[in-house]
Amino acid sequence: MAEYPAHLVREHQLFDGRTVTLRPIRLEDAALVREFLNELSGESKYMRFQKWVHAPSDKLIHFLTDIDYDRHMALVCTARHGDREEIVGEARYVANPDGRTCELGIVIADAWHKSGIAGLLMEALIRAARERGVQSIEGLVLAHNTEMLRFVRALGFDTQPVTDDRTTMRIVRKF
Amino acid sequence: MKKIWLDSYPQGVPSEIDARAYSSLNQLLERSCVRFRDRTAISNMGAPITYGELDGLSRDFAAYLQKALGLQQRDRVAIMLPNLLQYPVALFGALRAGMTVVNVNPLYTASELEYQLADSGVVAIIVLENFARTLEQALAKTRVRHVVTTQVGDLFPPVRRALVNFAVKHVKRLVPAWRIPGATDFREALALGARQVLGGASVGSGDIAFLQYTGGTTGRAKGAILTHGNMVANVEQVAAWAGGTLEEGAETVITALPLYHVFALTANLLVFVKLGGHNALITNPRDITGFVAELRKTRFTAITGVNTLFNALLNAAGFEEVAASSRGTLKLAVAGGMAVQRAVAERWQKATGVPLVEGYGLTEASPNVCANRFDLGKFTGKLGLPLPSTEVAILDEDGREVALGEIGEIAVRGPQVMRGYWNAPEETANAFTADGWLKTGDLGRMDERGYVEFSERKKDVIVVSGFKAYPAEIEDVVMLHPGVKDAGAVGVSDERSGEAVALFVVRKDPALTAEAVLEHCAKHLTGYKLPRRIEFREQLPKSAIGKILRRQLREEAARPHG
Repeated sequence: MAEYPAHLVREHQLFDGRTVTLRPIRLEDAALVREFLNELSGESKYMRFQKWVHAPSDKLIHFLTDIDYDRHMALVCTARHGDREEIVGEARYVANPDGRTCELGIVIADAWHKSGIAGLLMEALIRAARERGVQSIEGLVLAHNTEMLRFVRALGFDTQPVTDDRTTMRIVRKF
Repeated sequence: MKKIWLDSYPQGVPSEIDARAYSSLNQLLERSCVRFRDRTAISNMGAPITYGELDGLSRDFAAYLQKALGLQQRDRVAIMLPNLLQYPVALFGALRAGMTVVNVNPLYTASELEYQLADSGVVAIIVLENFARTLEQALAKTRVRHVVTTQVGDLFPPVRRALVNFAVKHVKRLVPAWRIPGATDFREALALGARQVLGGASVGSGDIAFLQYTGGTTGRAKGAILTHGNMVANVEQVAAWAGGTLEEGAETVITALPLYHVFALTANLLVFVKLGGHNALITNPRDITGFVAELRKTRFTAITGVNTLFNALLNAAGFEEVAASSRGTLKLAVAGGMAVQRAVAERWQKATGVPLVEGYGLTEASPNVCANRFDLGKFTGKLGLPLPSTEVAILDEDGREVALGEIGEIAVRGPQVMRGYWNAPEETANAFTADGWLKTGDLGRMDERGYVEFSERKKDVIVVSGFKAYPAEIEDVVMLHPGVKDAGAVGVSDERSGEAVALFVVRKDPALTAEAVLEHCAKHLTGYKLPRRIEFREQLPKSAIGKILRRQLREEAARPHG
């Protein structure tokens, strides 16, 4: 069992005064992740999986929460409501077989768009990736997801067309 | 930006139109009813109604909605009819009563219908009896309080009416049994309305004329908000473009595309009503023999369609003769909705002597954006020039204009562009750039003469004979089947319909058959969205992080069977 990288846990205050926690995902987060995905709008879910996802399957939840913190790293952003914790965003990478490059994915709860947490998650994820010697981080973004494309370009990503597929853009950031 | 396309305009076509030529579609109709009172406005299966009759009937229906039902201005009224005389009567009736029209595809399944009625908040609906059973199944979860039912022959002369209605019900058995308590018969509604005084609805250009539903990438259809001003502008734009070709009070257009679709609604019904023309409605163009027979009986000067329809006509027995006899009479054939195949365009011109003029548009723009010149005399293979008072830009990922000739997303500004999507602020925001350009989701380029050329689609959408099917909606339905673990839908090219849906399924139940999947789909999806091909896979191609790789699916789907 991989060790939980507790040093990646951080608290942040957002510009609107709210406080959130960024931390690596845990196996015990399954219920929270399920809740998070269920609450996403169809649009947000489609952007993340690029297909229609109903209720997330057990297999998907397991894939998302049972990670080794090395080849597969995931950070969640959580907010507290009293003693209840809620996931409001998550970002992850999965290493490609070559071990040097990895694929990135990020999704933010609809009500938390433009709150600044996407930037925090991406910075933290990129830091974690560099720590593990990843040389470049890549992703696939729907071509009409202009908000995401603009966001990653501001973070220093290149956006490139995918051969034979105009509906998708490849985003790449080399370290 | 420089409107370089203006230099390519035919002589006499203005660069700008008066978007306020009429305060509303109601004024447009009322003026035509005065000017062209005794001319035939609409005909169907040989039965005509004049502008005067259309005026009276639509007034009666308006008064029924307003007074007998007590509906308020801006209430939503749905029309679930194929192309019949009742369609324009119901349409103009609802608009004249100050209501917003929600067009419904009569071939919808109960679940599609329920979603659209609930989302738009429809309170009253007129439906052809043939589809009343579907409505009955959908009503429970909607706010619909009033149902008006009609039979095919309801506006035919008495003897014909009785014969047709009897035949549809008892000979052809086209009306599945239905029971909707409190439903009112259309003729009864007209009679009730005739006894009422229609109150003056003050309808202006900013009032919503239509919530026109169109598919969405995330699976759910969205209602484009089209105002009277949007629609009037688009009618004026098309009429200005047609100025040198079409004459007032002298045209007959074949309306075979459904009027519930925005293309025929604007290009045929509204434009030709403005011109005092005659819309010859074809109720079922799939009955190609019947269609050709109608054409043989009608002296028509214009026709609109999609590639699929023109192709079907060209292949139909007896059309050659119709085409030959329409030489000299036919002035205009317009194709929209989907790409026109050069072979079809060439065959059409050879048969009729008139080129297929391609136009381009989308529901969100009422719908016409570009058209080829009507006087060019040949098929161009391009989408055409931006219409008067229309700006088209080709944008890069950041919303900046690309250099002339380069490929980018086709974007539109103009008085015909919708206000937004009904109750969907996020989708609305995504549809426009910061500068107010409507993003079409189509990629293309503009040449140095201002012609817009289509390259490919940016959005994941499958266009089947001009109807848009979105993979997400199909996947949503398929995954409701308990025997399905995962599903992916992609478009494949299809000779007849341009594109068709191919479906890949990962089974949960190893005994699941393609027939069972198709049967399940048919319960929830209207015909054009149904998969033409179903294949089973152990898994769908996905990236490391779990995104579906549609390109790979498309490649697999493009491979021949076996």
